[in-house]
Amino acid sequence: MSGEEEENAAELKIGDEFLKAKCLMNCEVSLILEHKYEQLRQMSEDPLNQVSQVFEKSLQYVKRFSRYKNPDAVRQVREILSRYHLTEFELCVLGNLCPETVEEAIAMVPSMKTKGRGLDEEAIEKMLNDLSLIKTFE
Amino acid sequence: MFFHIILERNMQLHPRHFGRNLRDNLVAKLMKDVEGTCSGRHGFVVAITGIENIGKGLIRDGTGFVTFPVKYQCVVFRPFKGEILEAVVTMVNKMGFFAEAGPVQIFVSNHLIPDDMEFQSGDMPNYTTSDGSVKIQKDSEVRLKIIGTRVDATEIFCIGTIKDDFLGVINDPATA
Repeated sequence: MSGEEEENAAELKIGDEFLKAKCLMNCEVSLILEHKYEQLRQMSEDPLNQVSQVFEKSLQYVKRFSRYKNPDAVRQVREILSRYHLTEFELCVLGNLCPETVEEAIAMVPSMKTKGRGLDEEAIEKMLNDLSLIKTFE
Repeated sequence: MFFHIILERNMQLHPRHFGRNLRDNLVAKLMKDVEGTCSGRHGFVVAITGIENIGKGLIRDGTGFVTFPVKYQCVVFRPFKGEILEAVVTMVNKMGFFAEAGPVQIFVSNHLIPDDMEFQSGDMPNYTTSDGSVKIQKDSEVRLKIIGTRVDATEIFCIGTIKDDFLGVINDPATA
């Protein structure tokens, strides 16, 4: 893998394949995995035996770190963030970490500050405000 | 970060699985073979969520096995260098601490823990600031940045840092 050395999420260098792929926020993964786990439970007595360790650990992790619990809120977060011309990866980092200030948001997603993105501090501030509103009304 | 991607795999199926349940057998085998595995390129395959397409089978010369190209959608977890994420601390020692973010293990060396945090040994080894206000111990939740990844055939290990703005403990189990 020649691209390996240059990988850097802060500059959005995550490889073409992943840059174009659909990213999932922790809360979305939680919905998907819980649904799958529920299906398995209906089919067998002992669903924990059916799933891999990777599945189990991921489920525990996304349950612990999901910022939004209800499916409507999850959908709204994605909708709001998608108004700001973010890439999938940036959108999900913001959705996962829920930064509170503009400086924090830029520290979490440095690629937002690269030239020509049209994302000034005001726009970022508005975005964070919109996000925190969902949180309060959930 | 978790991704929803489409992957392809050539599945070999024994003739005894042929018949009206062929598709079900193929999908069951795919789940068994693929879920829980890890590759350096795509990361950990957490769960298959759907089958995109199953191509025409090809009989293998001399064996009777048939190979089907299967395209499937799945949730994968792939850590990237430079990515910031949250993780749960699993072990603390004087070298640093280990944390887990889903299936991946991340090591944070004591050089990459802020200088004002000192290691304290004891029943519950931890890193604490001199005024005692911030403490990292088992089960703490931390926000860290991945600065390196090491890939081998079946696992991905990461090295992380909490020595940067807005990184560090987000929740202390002792005070929560």
